[in-house]
Amino acid sequence: MQSPQDRSDDARRLLSVVVDDDESVRESLPDLLREFGFAARAFSSGKEFLESGCAGETSCLILDIAMPDMSGPELQRELQRRGQEIPTIFITGQRDETIRARVLKQGAAGFLLKPFSDEALLAAINTALHAA
Amino acid sequence: MKKTTAAIPFADSQAELERRVAERTAELAAINEELRKEIAERKLTEEKLRQEERELKRSEVHKAAILDSSPDSVVAIDQDGLITEFNPAAELTFGRRRNEVLGRPLADVIIPPSLREKHHGGFARYLATGESKVLGRRLEMTALRADGSEFPVELTITRIPQDGPLAFTGNIRDITARKRSEDELRAAHEQVLRSEERWRSVFENSAVGVALADLSGRLIATNPVFQKMVGYSEQELQELTFLDITYEADVDRNAELIRELLGGRREQFQIEKQYRRKDGQPVWARNNVSVVRSADRLPRFLMALSEDITQRKQSEEALARARSELAKVARITSLGVLTAAIAHEVNQPLSGIVTNASTGLRMLSADPPNIDGARETVRRTIRDGNRASDVITRLRTLYSRKEPSPEAMDLNEAAREVTALSMSEFERSGVLLRCEFADDLPPVEGDRIQLQQVMLNLLRNAKEAMSTIDGGPKELLIRTEKDEGDQIRLSVKDSGVGLTAQAANKLFEAFYTTKTDGMGIGLSISRSIIEAHQGRIWATPNDGPGCTFSFVIPRALDEVADSELAADRDDESRGAA
Repeated sequence: MQSPQDRSDDARRLLSVVVDDDESVRESLPDLLREFGFAARAFSSGKEFLESGCAGETSCLILDIAMPDMSGPELQRELQRRGQEIPTIFITGQRDETIRARVLKQGAAGFLLKPFSDEALLAAINTALHAA
Repeated sequence: MKKTTAAIPFADSQAELERRVAERTAELAAINEELRKEIAERKLTEEKLRQEERELKRSEVHKAAILDSSPDSVVAIDQDGLITEFNPAAELTFGRRRNEVLGRPLADVIIPPSLREKHHGGFARYLATGESKVLGRRLEMTALRADGSEFPVELTITRIPQDGPLAFTGNIRDITARKRSEDELRAAHEQVLRSEERWRSVFENSAVGVALADLSGRLIATNPVFQKMVGYSEQELQELTFLDITYEADVDRNAELIRELLGGRREQFQIEKQYRRKDGQPVWARNNVSVVRSADRLPRFLMALSEDITQRKQSEEALARARSELAKVARITSLGVLTAAIAHEVNQPLSGIVTNASTGLRMLSADPPNIDGARETVRRTIRDGNRASDVITRLRTLYSRKEPSPEAMDLNEAAREVTALSMSEFERSGVLLRCEFADDLPPVEGDRIQLQQVMLNLLRNAKEAMSTIDGGPKELLIRTEKDEGDQIRLSVKDSGVGLTAQAANKLFEAFYTTKTDGMGIGLSISRSIIEAHQGRIWATPNDGPGCTFSFVIPRALDEVADSELAADRDDESRGAA
């Protein structure tokens, strides 16, 4: 739901990227991020994101954990390997307690359980950006 | 005769002579007469003597005949204990000749060495005191044969009534044979007693109930196990027939079987039935009933071996319940997985709702408010709300707490139904659906609804996989065939984006579903269903584009064998031998 006006503002806005195989997430999250004042793009897989080439411009990465082919953590490791570390917030529907610890240990800037409130997301993003 | 020497005149002398001759003649005549008398007397006496001799002889002959013919040994002794009589039977019995033993001491001849002292003692005592333990009584003793062997005899000893010296006679009977028969009889009797004892013990100690009924059904004998099972005493049961203590519902069936038994149409039957205990409680029993016949093949008794199967029946019911519970749980692999699967299925639309609504609020709070944007978020929210509701409804239907209903079903038919339902969807998506159903596919044992859900899941996944293809063919092949090991295989082949091998493994894991359009049920649940059907589900990449999802499930047991089995079960419960 970007208007032409929005798109031109994009250049000044920080880019938030969503990578999630879940279509409804790709549909709804970027709009919310734009309301936060970000430019937003969504990809359905880690591969797609890497091939898009916008990793360099991404200020904040919102990653689903469980995805086919390349999971969220795997994407993060790949970016680290490429020397393209981006502040990353993981989102997931799984209620496994151990995952949070694992991803945080691996260097995640944030971890949210779906469904999460808009405030929680905003707070996590702010934390991530300030920590960077 | 007086002798005279004086001379006498001749005339007188002649007269005198005549007188003297006459005297002498008279004397002689008298003497003759006396003589005659004597002779006559003597003759009489002799005659008498001869008569007595003849009588004696006759009686001797008589006696000899009796002794000779007597089958019993007759032995007589004098007061010195020497043998005076030894009849032919005795000769035979003792192996001695009469003339060998006459005059010899009895003790040495026919009494065993070990008993001689006792004999002597007793004999001496009688001679001294007139008292005897043995006279006139029937005794059993051991006697001695000429060859030294000893044998049992029965004897009676009497004193021969005569004046003068004492004499005794004994009647001796060889009772070896009789004793042997007696022993044999006793042994046989004991054996019978032992055998009876054994069978009694079997009856009393049997681990199952045993009940014996006469032909009217009266329970004439029951063992403790049976009595305990039905709660009556033996006496109480003797007043009852077995139908008296059988539950109403089972009486007719039971009576019919008994009729068949007594009518000779069967030799035995089995029946599972309920008794009514004395206290009114029911008890389940499995009975094996047979007819006991007499020597002339006529029925005499009915015998039932009765096993209390109340426990077993209860266990069976409990097991059946537990099994279906387990099957239910097994269908979903674990409760945790189900909860997580539900949560995950529902979480997606919920996340969408929260995100979209949050976005909507912000848009409305913007300056100026972004009404169009907000409207869109509201639309999405409603849509996601409906999706969540759908998911819950479907999952509830799928996991409702009714019994799974496996039945022998035709997989082809089920597949045709599903493809028919999905046809319009595929056409709209431009998917070419082809079906290759094997002819005479054997039936499978399965829950129709669940298997159709799985097929639907696979078809929709395939459609999804092909939704991003532009230009290439969108082909979907659904196929059924017989697989090895009595299994039936169904496969769905698409020409879509395909899978890496790595993804193929992960696909069926819980949490690993990408379904968002709310109509699929997730591959993890599909796997649970197939596994609950004792089958397997997997995915393999195609040689060309796309991948193939397949599952195999076991075929149902042969229809023929199935119906035989069912008939057998029916027969058993009706008690066919």
